Amino acid sequence: MTTDATLTRAQPGRNRKRRNRVGRGLQYLALAGYLVFLAFPLVWLVSTSFKPPRELVKLHPTLIPDHPTLANFVQAFTEQELGRAAWNSLQVSLASAVITVLIATPASYALARFRTRLGTVALGWVLLSQLFPFVLLIIPIFLVLRQVGLANTHAGLVLIYVVWALPFALWMLQGFVRNIPRELEEAASVDGATRLQTLRRVIFPLLTPGLVATALFAFISAWNEFFFALVLIKTPELATLPVALARFVGIEGTARLGPLAAGSLLATLPSLVFFAFMQRRLASGSLAGAVKG
Amino acid sequence: MLHRLTRRRVLAVALAGAVGLGTLAGCGSGGDDESSGPVKLRFLSLAWQKESLQANKDLVAKWNAEHPDIQVEYVQGDWNSVHDQLLTSFEGGDAPDIVHYEAASIGEFSRQGYLADLSGLLSDDFKGQIDKGVWDTATFDGKVTGVPFLLESQVVIANKKLLDAAGITVPPAESGWSWDEFQTNAQKLTKPGQYGVAWALKSPTNRVLNLALNFDGKYFYPDGGKTEVRIGAPETEVPKRIHDMLYTAKSAAPEALGMSGADTLPGFFAGKYAMIPGSVSLRQQMVEQAPKDFDWVTLPPVRGLSANQAANPQTLSVSADSAHPKEAAQFLEFFLNPANMAQLAKGDWLVPTGKQANEELVKATGGKQGWDVAAASAADLTVAPFQMVDGYPEWKTKYATPALQQYFANKITLDQLATQLVDGGKQVLR
Amino acid sequence: MTTLTERPEVDRTGGRRPSRRGRSDRTTVYLLLLPSLLPVLVLSVFPLLRGIYLGFTDARAGRNVEIGFTGLANYRELLHDSLFWSSFRIGLLWAFSVTVLQFVLALGLALLLNQRLRFRGVARVLAVVPWAMPPVVVGILWRLVYHPDAGLLNEFLHRVGADGLRTTWLGDFSTALPAVIIVGVWAGMPQTTVVLLAGLQGVPRELHEAAEVDGANAWQRFRGVTLPSLMPVVVAITSLDFIWNFNSFGLVYVLTAGGPGGKTMLPMLFAYEEAFRYGNYGYAAALGNVMVVIVVALLAVYLRRRLREAN
Repeated sequence: MTTDATLTRAQPGRNRKRRNRVGRGLQYLALAGYLVFLAFPLVWLVSTSFKPPRELVKLHPTLIPDHPTLANFVQAFTEQELGRAAWNSLQVSLASAVITVLIATPASYALARFRTRLGTVALGWVLLSQLFPFVLLIIPIFLVLRQVGLANTHAGLVLIYVVWALPFALWMLQGFVRNIPRELEEAASVDGATRLQTLRRVIFPLLTPGLVATALFAFISAWNEFFFALVLIKTPELATLPVALARFVGIEGTARLGPLAAGSLLATLPSLVFFAFMQRRLASGSLAGAVKG
Repeated sequence: MLHRLTRRRVLAVALAGAVGLGTLAGCGSGGDDESSGPVKLRFLSLAWQKESLQANKDLVAKWNAEHPDIQVEYVQGDWNSVHDQLLTSFEGGDAPDIVHYEAASIGEFSRQGYLADLSGLLSDDFKGQIDKGVWDTATFDGKVTGVPFLLESQVVIANKKLLDAAGITVPPAESGWSWDEFQTNAQKLTKPGQYGVAWALKSPTNRVLNLALNFDGKYFYPDGGKTEVRIGAPETEVPKRIHDMLYTAKSAAPEALGMSGADTLPGFFAGKYAMIPGSVSLRQQMVEQAPKDFDWVTLPPVRGLSANQAANPQTLSVSADSAHPKEAAQFLEFFLNPANMAQLAKGDWLVPTGKQANEELVKATGGKQGWDVAAASAADLTVAPFQMVDGYPEWKTKYATPALQQYFANKITLDQLATQLVDGGKQVLR
Repeated sequence: MTTLTERPEVDRTGGRRPSRRGRSDRTTVYLLLLPSLLPVLVLSVFPLLRGIYLGFTDARAGRNVEIGFTGLANYRELLHDSLFWSSFRIGLLWAFSVTVLQFVLALGLALLLNQRLRFRGVARVLAVVPWAMPPVVVGILWRLVYHPDAGLLNEFLHRVGADGLRTTWLGDFSTALPAVIIVGVWAGMPQTTVVLLAGLQGVPRELHEAAEVDGANAWQRFRGVTLPSLMPVVVAITSLDFIWNFNSFGLVYVLTAGGPGGKTMLPMLFAYEEAFRYGNYGYAAALGNVMVVIVVALLAVYLRRRLREAN
């Protein structure tokens, strides 16, 4: 103990390294705490999906099933056409994410860089549309979609999901654009870059993290949306995954927990995979590079 | 130049959108045309248990094979969202032709004019299969807007080993215990680490009002042209007895109060609770989920002045907007013929409303697994006043449920409970 | 896209003259905004205006029901609706607690996930689990966590020997609201974390390095460098979170249905029941209008102060 103390006092550099190591340790500990809190339901979902019915009602539940079984997966897939539902969901969610990003990016650039009345009104409206009780809008929205012939189509769902994701996309992205120093753009245009080139070379790379967050938001909210998918789609072949999963839920909080867990597990994975690919883009350094370059 | 053109085009699209919106106010209908080809019926079903799902699908497939000119499309819904789904599609003019739901909830849709009157569409033979008392649960303002087909009676499921150990004998199917006997036996089954009863009362109102009929507790009384809530001795009997078991005799488990139906199972299977009052359909969980060496028994409904209970049968209805009500009724008569109804009831572990179906079911099962008790309980099920009251859902959610939860949590007295229920009635039933 | 490629031409010819510039700017803004505004217009203008209008009528659910204009009648009734106001108080408490906890926890997590830690990718993916799980199973899983007999939380307390702390989390009058708030925080945290993490990428690293050279400690660097440049994102996400939390009720409905004794009756659940269960569209819309006005007022105060600080 004493030798340690003298040593560290003698060598400040080492002292700092040591403190860093302790700090690192604490960081890992905190991260572990977070992940246990956030991810343990997934662990439980995995465990549940392999349990036979009798093990679901044990007074002292165990993480590892005593008699693991694949029956829940078999049941989930043979009874509800989860594969087809997942494919439907994937199409709808990808389309929603792509369209949201494509139309929200220019709009948020405009909102952040130019002060116009239209922009203010648009932002305000968008916020209001999020504020008003959603349940009261359901029936009118349904009527509108029927009228324009989009009821019972995936296009109708995509339209709803895009509009649903836009407020978030616009509010977030314009915040990100605001964060990009105007000087960067001006410097680029002094260098003779066209506006489009400026956008592509300067703004777009700096906006990537925001775009990732937006795309993820649009994808996941479309992937998990239940109610519109339920009322808008009549044809069973067009049903999306959340609607198919809800069929394992019964009266008064009861459910066929095994197949539900199995199906839910498979419904959780695509969003995680999607994010696993996208999260690399959430790396710092891009702005630093831009300033230097 | 180019951008101005684009601008104009964009404007045009915006205008088109606005025009589209404008026409909204005008026409509302615009259903899909199916002038040629077979009649198509959409059937929204709420079956969700494995066997009952299979039974439903099999029957629809059989119908479709036998009736090439009337094709039924089976759509599976779910109990949690069906109300919102139906309301939205009724209001949007896009409802399924045939709707599966429950008597207590179709009253509202019926009064709103969304369900067709079936009385002229069904044959007398078919109607004769079901008791008048049961038909009454789906009759609103003189219109029959649903065919009741599955009944859910409240029985008691008990741990046989614990009954034996306490020297308690199982009563015969036709005559259950009185409430006094039930309470005494619950007491006998209570010891450290073990409760006689687990009352799952997360949603207490329906439960209490169903059982209140045991003592002739009606809660809702006609008063001139209006209805009012009155709380007298018949109404307080059941809540008072449950409260007694919780706090005086301590034979009922307080932790079960926040549970709903199946939540009591882990404790029941582990021997923590000796008896669980609940729906006959709980028998399915017994068969599927009880430990292999677990011995359970279905006890008949507990009786007060009578064993009467409110019947809230599951129903099949036809939308008022359906283009083919006759064909839909034809399908219902097939779907609910005695043999089929028995099959559906068996799949859901519920009691069929049809007399013949009930007999067939007892015969087919030999009365085992509680089917004798289930069949006998059908005679006690009747319509309760609350099922016919317009503002019942609002009274239940806003006033009755919170008040009963407070009473069962021992936060208010019986008198305060009565006051809150009556005042709530005044607010809602104006 | 064609319009965009053409933009620079316009700029180059008249970019230096302020008047031309102003006009072309406006055109640019409109063109950039339109693709977003069009779908919003199509889908939200009619429903929203209709919703607001219904609040001044006696609209009810039903086939061919006539709607009568009743002016402020709904609002007079609403003033005396003590059940609504008590649920409104619960709603504010719920939305405020969930938003604050969500933000504080998410900020900590975002800072961690921005470090060069080992297994960072895996950790990031695990951190968005609550967001990725289908809502239909989330409520059911949390009921398993809080189950009085066989719940994971009580089982955990039992195994660590803290049996005294076991309780009926969702059924007890004092623990029900905190219990659902924790679920709300859990469910909304990933979204906030991802946004903050994305925001952190915009913090100039030079400033950080300069501050470090100047001898600023981690906390000082966070206060002086990170937080200020993160502020626009923080303001945007906390406002949206508050709105979302205030408006959400599905999860709570599955967990407690508003009970016990109305302790978790959120105002949106209240409005939902009015509209979808009792068919009182007019009254429900009036509740909506009032809530919008109050929440807008709260947000305006918040946004004004935050934005002033930011500038």
